[in-house]
Amino acid sequence: MQITKSRRYRAAIAVGLTFAFLAASCGSDSEGTEAPTTEAPTSEAPTTEAPGTPVAGGTLRYGVEAETDGLNPTSSAFAVSAYVMGNAVFDTLTALAADGTWVPNLAASLTPSEDLKDWTLVLRPDILFHDGTPLNSAAVKANFDAAYAAPLVGLAVRPFYPAENAVEIVDDLTLIYHLLDANLQFPHALRSQLGYVASPTWLAAAIADPTLNQAPVGTGPFKFDSRTQDSVTRFVRNDAYWGGDVWLDAIEFIPVVDPATRLELLQNGELDAMHTTETESLAPLREDESIFNIIDDNGEESFVMINSAKAPFDDIRVRKAITLATPRMEYNTLFGNGEARLADQRFTPESPYYDETIKQEADDPEAALALVAEYCAEGLLTAEGTPTCTDGKVNMEWQYTGPSVVGQRITDLFNASWGAAGFNVTNDELAQDDHIQQAALGQYNVIGWRQFGAYQPATDAVWLLCRTIGGISLNWPRYCDETRDSLLLEAQVAPTQADEAPIQKQISQNIHDAYTYIFLQHTVWANSFTSAVHGTCDVKSPEGVALACAINGTTAFTSTWMS
Amino acid sequence: MKFWMQRVAMAILLLLSVSALTFGAMNVLGDPLFNILGPLAGDVNNPKSAALIEEVKAKYDLDKPLPVRYVKWLGDFATGDMGVQFSTDGQPPVSGLIKERVPRTITLLIMAQLLAVMISIPWAAITAARAGKRSDKISTMNSFFLLAMPNFALAILLKYIFSLKLGWFPLTYKAIDPLFQQLRQMFLAAVTIALPAAAVYQRLLRTDLITTLQQDFILMARAKGLSRSRVIFRHAIRPSMFSFITVVGLNTGGLIGGSIVVETVFRIPGIGSSLVESVLREDFPVVLAIVMLIALTFVIINVLVDILYSIIDPRVRR
Repeated sequence: MQITKSRRYRAAIAVGLTFAFLAASCGSDSEGTEAPTTEAPTSEAPTTEAPGTPVAGGTLRYGVEAETDGLNPTSSAFAVSAYVMGNAVFDTLTALAADGTWVPNLAASLTPSEDLKDWTLVLRPDILFHDGTPLNSAAVKANFDAAYAAPLVGLAVRPFYPAENAVEIVDDLTLIYHLLDANLQFPHALRSQLGYVASPTWLAAAIADPTLNQAPVGTGPFKFDSRTQDSVTRFVRNDAYWGGDVWLDAIEFIPVVDPATRLELLQNGELDAMHTTETESLAPLREDESIFNIIDDNGEESFVMINSAKAPFDDIRVRKAITLATPRMEYNTLFGNGEARLADQRFTPESPYYDETIKQEADDPEAALALVAEYCAEGLLTAEGTPTCTDGKVNMEWQYTGPSVVGQRITDLFNASWGAAGFNVTNDELAQDDHIQQAALGQYNVIGWRQFGAYQPATDAVWLLCRTIGGISLNWPRYCDETRDSLLLEAQVAPTQADEAPIQKQISQNIHDAYTYIFLQHTVWANSFTSAVHGTCDVKSPEGVALACAINGTTAFTSTWMS
Repeated sequence: MKFWMQRVAMAILLLLSVSALTFGAMNVLGDPLFNILGPLAGDVNNPKSAALIEEVKAKYDLDKPLPVRYVKWLGDFATGDMGVQFSTDGQPPVSGLIKERVPRTITLLIMAQLLAVMISIPWAAITAARAGKRSDKISTMNSFFLLAMPNFALAILLKYIFSLKLGWFPLTYKAIDPLFQQLRQMFLAAVTIALPAAAVYQRLLRTDLITTLQQDFILMARAKGLSRSRVIFRHAIRPSMFSFITVVGLNTGGLIGGSIVVETVFRIPGIGSSLVESVLREDFPVVLAIVMLIALTFVIINVLVDILYSIIDPRVRR
């Protein structure tokens, strides 16, 4: 992550599909999203925001990239925008420290059993929800049970907990989480959607009256005030906040889907803060002396994803062929705007988990042609009985969301390269919702996506384990490898980063060798603030530990103040 | 009596046709199950998901044939029940959404209509007084420009000049701001709708004014020494307003169509932008409700105009 002073200009449209609620439920910071965005390397020397004495008052107007359907963390699909809003009204049980470790937040402590399968959580006393309901172990259990039972959110929860008695109440402030696997990284699962604790009174009321899903009640620094969907959601200061002083009078979240408009609003003073992944926005944001940016490309990756459960891509030769046929360099030139770094794996070179020996293969059409010829010579059929090859070329479908100018340009580029390397490409432009559905159900060949990037990579296991393959898969490529599973579970119990790093490198090699992802770029998130906004990165845990101030486009607001 | 019955019968027939066509089109085009259940909608081999799918189908009548669903929907709509949204929790109900959004659209349309009238009357008077002269020709060109320009392009142009460059009006609309601020935030959107309408009104009123200005009583007024502007505004405007008022009335329904794009461009959460979002989300109950409201507005205005005509000129009843 880097912090820079920067500046303005103009942007194009980025289309992103989010499955963040699923990642969040498992504690991952990453989001499963579609890929046709291209982002930027963070090359400028870090500078810091000017220090100052916080003053109370002011309304922060924050431009989010999309509206969210609901703000109930146990049942609503949380994408980045929902997280940003959620951070205002909810607190998490644990939090991410600036050094990448976890620290207690609503929890006073979280202690594992010897086998790392049971975690005892003790809550801080005397914390009240905004509606006066006390925070206790029954409230935490009610939240967990609701998430576990929720049709969609539960998809990412159920694979990791027993069906019965997953959370056990010990006393008013103590409860035990029972896990299916030993997991030393479990606390990271409680610093995202699964870690948000909502008032159980409100959760019960929202079941009877679902309109309440739009009016969340948490313990957070801000209380819900009003919400007009597609216009503005407003939170006001919680004067009785358990975590100390809150400076802003109110925060207004304004959904502005078009990134160019969002940038213009920030530059014209109609917004005080915004987030974006749009590469064309980054240069103007950097250049604007009046804007303070937190730019980070250590999060999610953009990639092409391949369905290994469906012919012809159930054959590794075809997966390897399309990987080699992919014009990765040209893609980055055309869609990176000089801002995005090429990605070889799930980690940036600065990461301790990065393996410099793993290089994403691509840009070798001759080698691709040879593999295609070998495969097509066998005359194989798909499950539906249709030939996998026609005229010596592999029949395949490329799926992307539309209508989108960027998506169409990416499609044109891939079509040309793949076509020249032995593939008959049929394009399937789908609406965003259908696109997600087809991916979740495995009804695709090759698809654009955006995902990974958890600060604790073990929590990305949800996307990779065999057990998350099913009718609806979170292991989107539907690739099961018992060896990889063993490594993923082993990484969960590594006592130190130094112990985990070699395991993650083995996992990266395993992912590379399976040819199910063609890594393209590291996604760059920019959180940008006008010069009137201060203190966002001064956020601390209750024990005074500095916390990460921006994670994959989200920020906290406890320490934010305006001059 | 026969005249009124015919009018009402035609109005009902029109509404039924619009509703049937919209209902059929929306149900043929999309899969509402996905809006409600997400990816679970396709997880048919999983017994739990399959049971949930059946439950949702029953709840939303998706397991019934299209005609049966249409008749049920029509019955509910006639009694004021617009149903629930096709979303995970179906909230807020469609009537709640409409109730929240209609006032904004009505405010926008009233502003637009007032602006159009206020712009068009002096514009028509000036050009009629100078008919055939260079300024009239330039005015005609401007009218055609406004009529030919798509409203989304006009909207972007106005935003660029008056919000981005001059900073006179805010770019964002916030539904929670005080009314005066909301009106200011809506102003450019209202101007976008008003300008093409004003061009239509101006062309019509100008033509009628030119005819009126050739009447003997105008010549008499001028002969008495009244100034040209006094003659136009005191003596010529009123007798020239008949067609103008009719078109202004009829065009009110047409402005709703204009608001669909303009609300989207200016991010005003009214029924126009709601219609666009609902079509994209395949949220049929919302689309149907809005389409029916628009159709109903058209029909009511047309019936009112018919009634007015029949009162002014009873011959039209025959």
